[in-house]
Amino acid sequence: MGGRSRVASQLLSGLGFKEVYNLEGGIKAWGGAKAEGPVELNMDLIRGDESPMEMIRLAYGMEKALESFYFTLKSGNDDPELQRFYQGMVAVEQIHKSRLFELHKEVDPPGQDLDAFEAAINTQIMEGGFNLEEFIEKNASFMNSVNEVLNLAMMLETQALDLYLRFSDKSAKATTKDVLFKLADEEKAHLAALGELLEKRL
Amino acid sequence: MISFKRLFTPVRSMNSEKAKEFIAQQPEGSYTLLDVRQPGEYEKEHIPGAKLIPMADLKDSLQDLDPEKPVITY
Repeated sequence: MGGRSRVASQLLSGLGFKEVYNLEGGIKAWGGAKAEGPVELNMDLIRGDESPMEMIRLAYGMEKALESFYFTLKSGNDDPELQRFYQGMVAVEQIHKSRLFELHKEVDPPGQDLDAFEAAINTQIMEGGFNLEEFIEKNASFMNSVNEVLNLAMMLETQALDLYLRFSDKSAKATTKDVLFKLADEEKAHLAALGELLEKRL
Repeated sequence: MISFKRLFTPVRSMNSEKAKEFIAQQPEGSYTLLDVRQPGEYEKEHIPGAKLIPMADLKDSLQDLDPEKPVITY
């Protein structure tokens, strides 16, 4: 139903919104990644009043859990091509982690080293809010080739992107929102890279 | 009173390719992606980062939107 969003666009334009666009063809025509789940999905992970530091710790825990997820997959697989792919994903999560540690140093003046920071991290939750073992069990049949695993990885990154942005929407502090916007921008770039990789392989 | 200004405000549209490009380039927090469908439709699938405000609630939720930032609705 494209009618609704056209009416919404007209309403907002009429109310003085500076720049309003209606997405042609709506979500049906949308060619990019799609997320699923209700707005409330995994929102119980935050209260809404988190400081930037708390949010960085939470995100670090998610990235770390995802790193060990890919590491576990790599260790349990003997296909060299898949192993290389998983290793690449481990490396990406490590980059996200070091980016978060840099952000942490900006927020919290020097004094804390990486070990102390790591010690305060909770890895119970996975990036995108998935439970690791449950997820592997459920998706084992979609993890037999690099293309399948790429699709799965893109799905995870999309859910993570969406989650960070829903977190930002719920977060009251502007500085905490900024941290989440930066994380979302990184997920977006990473997602685009995975998409290009998939396109090359198809 | 019918607002004629509102009725005749031209609405620009953006195709999927352009929107994808726009979203990829625009830093998060600098624009709004607005989903005016119903929660059930959003739950099934949505564009990552979209803000859900069903059409019927839009007028009462304007305080949640920044009129200075570009908005893409779907």
